[in-house]
Amino acid sequence: MKQIKQVMVLIAGLLALAVSVTACGPGASPTPTGTGSPTPSTTSMPQVAVVALLSIPVTDWDPAVEFSNGVMILHNVYETLLRYEPLEDTFTPVLATDYTHSDDGLTWTFHIRQGVKFHDGTELNSEAVKFSIERTIKIGKGAAFIWDPVDKIETPDKLTVVFKLKYPAPMDLIVSSAYAAFIVSPAAAQSNPDDWFTQGHEAGTGPYKLESQKMGEEVILTKFDDYWKGWQGKHFDKIYYKKVPENASRRQMLEKGDADWTMELTSEDIEALKANPNIAIEVNSSFENLLGFFNTEKEPLNNKLVRQALSYAFPYEDVVKYAMGGYAEQAKGPVPKGLWGHGDDLFQYNYDLEKAKDLLAQAGYPDGGLKLLATYNSGDETEKKVCELYKSELAKLNIELEIRGMPWETQWELAKATNPDDRQDIFFMYWWPDVTTPYTYLFNLYHSQPEIVFNFNYINDPELDKLMDDANLQAGIDRAKAAQMFVEAQKKIVDEAYGLFVYDKNYVRTFNKSLKGYKDNPSYPHVIFFYDCYRE
Amino acid sequence: MPSARVERKPKMLKFILKRLALGVLVILGVVIVTFIMTRVVPSNPAAQWVGPRATPEQIQAAKRELGLDQPLYIQLGIYIKNLFTGNLGKSLKTHQPVIEELKNYLPATIELVLLSTVIAALIGLPLGVISAKKKDRWLDHFSRFFSVGAVSLPTFWVGLFLQLIFYRWLGVLPLGGELSTNIKLFYQVPHVTGFLLLDSLITGNMVIFKDALLHFILPGITVALYPIGLVARMTRSALLEILGEDYIRAARSYGLPESTVLWSYALKNSLGPTITVLTLSIGYTLTNTFLIEAIFSWPGIGSYIATSILSLDYPAIMGVTIFAALAYVVLNLIADIIIALDPRVRL
Repeated sequence: MKQIKQVMVLIAGLLALAVSVTACGPGASPTPTGTGSPTPSTTSMPQVAVVALLSIPVTDWDPAVEFSNGVMILHNVYETLLRYEPLEDTFTPVLATDYTHSDDGLTWTFHIRQGVKFHDGTELNSEAVKFSIERTIKIGKGAAFIWDPVDKIETPDKLTVVFKLKYPAPMDLIVSSAYAAFIVSPAAAQSNPDDWFTQGHEAGTGPYKLESQKMGEEVILTKFDDYWKGWQGKHFDKIYYKKVPENASRRQMLEKGDADWTMELTSEDIEALKANPNIAIEVNSSFENLLGFFNTEKEPLNNKLVRQALSYAFPYEDVVKYAMGGYAEQAKGPVPKGLWGHGDDLFQYNYDLEKAKDLLAQAGYPDGGLKLLATYNSGDETEKKVCELYKSELAKLNIELEIRGMPWETQWELAKATNPDDRQDIFFMYWWPDVTTPYTYLFNLYHSQPEIVFNFNYINDPELDKLMDDANLQAGIDRAKAAQMFVEAQKKIVDEAYGLFVYDKNYVRTFNKSLKGYKDNPSYPHVIFFYDCYRE
Repeated sequence: MPSARVERKPKMLKFILKRLALGVLVILGVVIVTFIMTRVVPSNPAAQWVGPRATPEQIQAAKRELGLDQPLYIQLGIYIKNLFTGNLGKSLKTHQPVIEELKNYLPATIELVLLSTVIAALIGLPLGVISAKKKDRWLDHFSRFFSVGAVSLPTFWVGLFLQLIFYRWLGVLPLGGELSTNIKLFYQVPHVTGFLLLDSLITGNMVIFKDALLHFILPGITVALYPIGLVARMTRSALLEILGEDYIRAARSYGLPESTVLWSYALKNSLGPTITVLTLSIGYTLTNTFLIEAIFSWPGIGSYIATSILSLDYPAIMGVTIFAALAYVVLNLIADIIIALDPRVRL
């Protein structure tokens, strides 16, 4: 009996300890535990912004290599020569103060900002710009291909960089690309092993330094005191990116003020958050669109009439409403709205089963009787819903659609099968720009390719190729004219119904209302330029 | 019989060595099977290495860089050779050495699992003893109800429920993570062994220790729940069986106090199976923890495994599988040794 009592006393003691630890936890520690919530009004208190993410998106810390959402962090550590504002079609000078180009679009001269310091203390000059870009080209990974037009880079003086091109190209757009256009300190890159950046080090000019990171778990940025714009006014001192894989947890953190910004919440969560007065919900257009690709090398989709019929059978409105919770817009052609070269007066297929039936009959399939395979990236619930909605519409035409969710790698392998008959009939995929130009959509997705990479329509149309190639060359000389030419190319793509133009996605931003200064820029998807943000 | 004891020692050593050798074979088998399986699954590691928008030239270059242009058996040979130097290759996704990533993620998981197991023993054992002692009384019913519940409730549900109560409603415990944001940002977090609670304790950093302990409570309870139930049930049934034995009746008839009979005589002899089960359950707890880690944003190995599997990151999958196999082999060995320590067991 005595021992039982002792055990009971022990358990009670443990519980008491837990309770006492709890009680003196957040309150008694020198700094408040719940961050994100407005910190005390004393100005000496460092300001911290907390970003809760499904996963830490950085796949490679090397700015020359990173080609994924990791740039949402890198853009606070590194800078590019210019920053593009696509909705106004203007450029903000960053590391370059101004630039000019020759009439033939083959020579571009950028003037570099004076007095900019890298995080390692060395100074920015034209050599550093040349070094960074040549390094990216040499490594040849990620989005290095954006520099393809560059023949050579000259540095006539300390603050002037001249790009000599192989063919005309819009260098202002290229140097402001979200990927592979970062400028790094040559001193740091040269004095360290090749994989120094990849191991989680940095040497940028951006407003924030990388203080620490635990791969895949968290990233802490801290302000760089010598930042060239200075630190007058209100800014954050530290930025904390934290992985919070559970949807429910991210939402709760936002509601409790423990996180300032989050994304990838479900549309149900977003609905519920609307009622919360402390949370801002912004719906912004994006350059990410969902496209379906018809296998034009295989029966029956090698028939234009069938492709058009399938375009009319797609339930565009329902997809936007039910699969995307209304946070999207039916696409008009492959180049998304808001991007230059988007065709506002392009033809748009609408949902019309009668028309689809007529077209099928004309194509020789009056009773349907087709069997098609659609693939999408497994794990993407939205794409799955899209396919299911489409399937039920096609069933009404007596077309059986098999939908198969596959990991990207396997979906890709199937699409590249040597025999066109072994491939899928419809391939669903999202696309977003590297350099903000229509050419990234048209060239990658609709240009003939010696080896299939992303052209899942398998189109080989020299006339179409010429239309878009000419437009691209024109982009380096006269962008307005080029935009018109890109629209012409899209007219052909839409008329031929090479694929489904499903929707242009909206990005829904959910953040704490006390976070001010946040501005969405679709050319830099998911990037929060924290220098412009502050708490109020 | 002292002679029997002397004989037992070399036998024991032989037994352990035999088990160890078997363990090495098991791990080698796991390596080969996993290696082949991850390669048979249709995927293109080279394409993965360079990312979704690579050019064919970039993919070719990656193929050479990763040695994927070699025949499979050579690749396997190289892999096993590297294994002996602790080189598990580089993750296709993060481009970091897998061994470094394991070192990064494992301590948090191991700390969570081991500490929870200790808690499970501390709570489960007395619960089982009380249950056996008060058989069919309300305390027993309660304890049985609790342990059946603990074993059968889905842990992710328990985790979410605890968060709802203690974070959202009461606001007394943190939602997740290992430390508070401010502690993380403005304190020097000690790093000695990688086990946060231990490190903060041995460096005498009580602020961090308290904060870490606070963060441990909810995931710790969630993880411990299953082994608590298991230990309580196991102890109860083992004790009940032993309490009916002759020597217990003899002890009682000598007039020994009931508590001595129960705690010294009966419990000691029923501990064997309980500890074995508890040791083996660590393996289960480890896998169970992966889910709990996701709920509590615990910086352990769980989500690393999930993302590796989903993205077919085969070096990472291999690394984790080898670790899991190693853990099972070691735990099994420990369980075997515990059983073998019982003089009634023939080696």
